[in-house]
Amino acid sequence: MITTTKRHTLTTPTDRTIRVEREFDASRDRVWRAYTEPELVAQWWGRGNKVVVERDEGRRGGHWRYVEHSPDGEVNGFEGRYREIIPKDRIVRTFEWDGMPGYTILETAEFFDAGEGRTRVVSTSLFFSPEERDGMLQSGMEGGMAESFAALDRLLAEVR
Amino acid sequence: MVQYPSDLDTAFAAVADPTRRGVLERLGRREASISELAEAFDMTLTGMKKHVSILEDAGLVQTQKVGRVRTCTLGPRRLTAEAAWIADYQRMVEARLDSLGAFLERTKGDQP
Repeated sequence: MITTTKRHTLTTPTDRTIRVEREFDASRDRVWRAYTEPELVAQWWGRGNKVVVERDEGRRGGHWRYVEHSPDGEVNGFEGRYREIIPKDRIVRTFEWDGMPGYTILETAEFFDAGEGRTRVVSTSLFFSPEERDGMLQSGMEGGMAESFAALDRLLAEVR
Repeated sequence: MVQYPSDLDTAFAAVADPTRRGVLERLGRREASISELAEAFDMTLTGMKKHVSILEDAGLVQTQKVGRVRTCTLGPRRLTAEAAWIADYQRMVEARLDSLGAFLERTKGDQP
């Protein structure tokens, strides 16, 4: 029985955000390692299911992909990219489940020293719809394409 | 025409709160009055009214007042794949933190 971990608190500060807070009887160092060392991640991330850490490039822009294998043979892949990693402080990364492609979640895990060797983890998840994500990509792309065409125009004018 | 919020917003309104998840489940079995729901979920009438009105705005529940009783039934909108995903994700995050707690307990004193 675990008596040393407090029950999580769950709140939704804004629409589309899920926030879960938990305190662990373990140092920030140990909690950080559990989150970032692939062989340790494999031991808890699957909630009892086997986890294969296929990729875990723990740096800004790096990819991660974990695959869960449940006892009944079900396989579920999860993946994304790291946006920010500040050692022992916070991890920000995108999260996507193979079963709902396009539904990106921005996950932030923050680690706080809670005193007496304890650590508080605050996990915040922000949901995006595929339309929003496509919209973001498209607006960026349109701007980029206009610039590219302008550059091409200039080049063609020069070589005429 | 009634303007409903987007699927994702609707899904969030419905399932990010455990009481609202429960209300939808219960109304899926049969209709209930607000006071019956308040009693079933051990909450004040005002509190339950708030939950029901959020579900009503999302089109997931509809209410009808007959005499002094407001009866709730499931609305014209159904929960989408998004809603199931959000609920699953939320359970997953909680289970993962439970699992992390158990792991940290288990490996206590393994190494410095």
